[in-house]
Amino acid sequence: MNEEDLVQRAADERAAIVAKYRHGRREGAEIYDWEEQTFEVYHSLDRYGFIHDTNKHPSEERITEHQTPNELKIDREREKKWLKMTTPPSAFYTTAPDKLRRRVFKGIPDSLRGKAWKLILEIDKEKTAGKYQEMRDLAMKWSSEIRQIDLDVNRTYRDHIMFRERYNSKQQELFNVLSAYSMYNSEIGYCQGMSQIAALLLMYLDEEDAFWALSILIAKSKYNMHGFYIPGFPKLLRYQEHHDKIMHKFLPKLKKHLDKNGVDTGIYTLKWFFQCFLDRIPFRLTLRVWDVYLFIGERILTAMAYNLLKIHRRKLISLGMDDILQFLQVRLERKFEVDDDVAMESLGKCLEELRKSKLDYPGPPPQQELPKRKFGTFKEPPFEQKVGRRSMEFSRMEQSTRESVASRRDAAMAAALTAESPTEEEPSAPNGHARHSHDESSALPGASTTTRVNSPTEEAFSGRDDTFSYYLNTTGSKFSLEQGSMDGDGSSLLGDGSRRSLAETSITSTADLSVFSSAPRSQAADSHSICEEDTDQEDGGGTHTPTPTPRSPDVLRIYVPYESPSPPAMPLTPTSTTNGDILRRPPTSLDNKIRILVMDHTPPGNAPEDNTPLVELASSPFSPIVDLK
Amino acid sequence: MANRSGPQRPNGTAQAKICQFKLVLLGESAVGKSSLVLRFVKGQFHEFQESTIGAAFLTQTVCVDDTTVKFEIWDTAGQERYHSLAPMYYRGAQAAIVVYDVTNQDTFGRAKTWVKELQRQASPNIVIALAGNKADLANKRSVELEEAQAYAEENQLLFMETSAKTAKNVNEVFLAIAKKLPKNDQNVNPSVPVNITAWLTICVLRAGHF
Repeated sequence: MNEEDLVQRAADERAAIVAKYRHGRREGAEIYDWEEQTFEVYHSLDRYGFIHDTNKHPSEERITEHQTPNELKIDREREKKWLKMTTPPSAFYTTAPDKLRRRVFKGIPDSLRGKAWKLILEIDKEKTAGKYQEMRDLAMKWSSEIRQIDLDVNRTYRDHIMFRERYNSKQQELFNVLSAYSMYNSEIGYCQGMSQIAALLLMYLDEEDAFWALSILIAKSKYNMHGFYIPGFPKLLRYQEHHDKIMHKFLPKLKKHLDKNGVDTGIYTLKWFFQCFLDRIPFRLTLRVWDVYLFIGERILTAMAYNLLKIHRRKLISLGMDDILQFLQVRLERKFEVDDDVAMESLGKCLEELRKSKLDYPGPPPQQELPKRKFGTFKEPPFEQKVGRRSMEFSRMEQSTRESVASRRDAAMAAALTAESPTEEEPSAPNGHARHSHDESSALPGASTTTRVNSPTEEAFSGRDDTFSYYLNTTGSKFSLEQGSMDGDGSSLLGDGSRRSLAETSITSTADLSVFSSAPRSQAADSHSICEEDTDQEDGGGTHTPTPTPRSPDVLRIYVPYESPSPPAMPLTPTSTTNGDILRRPPTSLDNKIRILVMDHTPPGNAPEDNTPLVELASSPFSPIVDLK
Repeated sequence: MANRSGPQRPNGTAQAKICQFKLVLLGESAVGKSSLVLRFVKGQFHEFQESTIGAAFLTQTVCVDDTTVKFEIWDTAGQERYHSLAPMYYRGAQAAIVVYDVTNQDTFGRAKTWVKELQRQASPNIVIALAGNKADLANKRSVELEEAQAYAEENQLLFMETSAKTAKNVNEVFLAIAKKLPKNDQNVNPSVPVNITAWLTICVLRAGHF
């Protein structure tokens, strides 16, 4: 087919799809058998509109419990309050912020949720008259995302009464909102995951409001979902790195357990962050989380992820890989185990806990997460996009994401592998010990490499060791390396928890990079004991003594767990089997480590290992990676 | 993940050999990846299988001769945009099923791209199967069986036309993979997942940013 034919084909396809939605379910609608629901309707319809087919095994469907009489009573009381708050002349935002916050945490009554969401999002402020209709009409002629949107409308919440029938009014609205948005924000277009969000909004808002609500969630600085959906998902990676940081600090045991089982953050947090926990927790609780998400903003993503794992940490720690994933992906959506009110109260506490540690906010979005093009300006799509042809090359951002997730995955697998053998031999070993055996088990003679790196300035490294190690540990995507959100000072990460988090990093990840400074190079091999002694106390619960951070580092250590390519029967190291007594390893166990020596303004000739490759470092001073505002 | 032999019982008798393999499903959006997995793992079929965001994880066990093969299945999102996350799922996978829709020629083209990417980026010994799904819609076929077969042979892929809806060839494709996967003791321990040079390079490159 020549170019004209291809464009024509795509245009015909789009026109055919659009025509079907315009036609709706009126007579003559062309609906394939397989597109129609065959649920036995009204078997059971829950209070939110989800259809429960009694023929299905109860474990197969989402569970949204009915209200108890008592809950109903409370709901009625709340309705009165919310009705007053949301009805003019009572201006919503004149309600005392604390009171409002408390009420939002208690849950907005479902009957007033739409009204409240509209006020919280300040939709009327955002609305530009006629813009939505303009975008919708343009989309029907031009949007290159129509095909994908159509595919997804056909499978979004089909078990909900509103979206059950093919081409019914709500499916039409969903199609319209997503199509219009694909035109309005051409940098995102349409990304899978947005359809459920738009559908949720449509359960509570009318079509045009749902469009603006989506737009607010994506573009307003309070939510900033733009960075989640653009190609390369930069915000996702940033949030996952931040989540790791929280895990290291607050749930180190669980983090180790997940690492040991190869359950990497990248795997289980995606839907949490992308869709604010839709389909990962029961719908009733999801709505409560959404209430506070809309009210407070993106900090809720971070806090809820922490909250969820904290609530279920004991359960999770008792499970293996399959069951962990099953639990997080499926089980929790069916039954959260904890009462909604308890979960929400805990969420509030988690938020506060993180705020105190300045970990509630991963920082303002760096440039590349922000929209660059003006919204709602029409530009004819290029040929490739028109005909839906795949780009054969990745953008810079996507390439960076690829590298990042690949190395992250490798790290996770390596961590799981190296953790495997010792814990099997010694299942009762406390986690702290297992970690050390992890290092031990990977000890292999003769795999040592030393590389020299020119050092950045002294100040650059001093007191920033844990930050630095974190960098490498979390695969250091391009995004996180860029300036912008990262010019806070790292001090609050240090102090009490600093060595601790360094020590954790060193074991739970494959690449540990600790910086030692004042120690002469000859002591480098021994200096690992600094962090080992600390890890010893790691589970001691806060009785941790920080080791003074030496200045002027000159050695970086990178631990690379490395399995022997030689016959696996070979015992990796005899000490790993001895009962827990593996903390003080002989320096020879460093044999499998790559050591990068950072020469601080030292001419290469003066270095002991001057035959090692020299790696140039950028001359810019090292800056901390976290914004701790 | 690791495929390991069954643990020795205290009295020394060995249990049946259990091998564990990581398998990833790749392919264009809405070709039926999740449906194939659902059919294989639970024997079910949903017309309105929700779109997969990111990826889903499931497991299923099959028996091949004297060996129990446990599949750890990563079912991935099909939209092009999620392509950049794919390495997270196919890294370290010993098997892959690349799925296309027999009624849609474009999805076949996309499948070829996936095969190429796996050949370049995944483990060198990865077993790849090509599945032409929605075979029940053969009257709307736009990818001929022979065309796909020839392509599969050329690239040494296992190949079957499947239907998650009717269950045609679904178990068969997984079984064929299970048979082809190496289950000897040499393969019981996983190969080194992290290339040490690569790691060094990564670390050093990153250090360069400072």
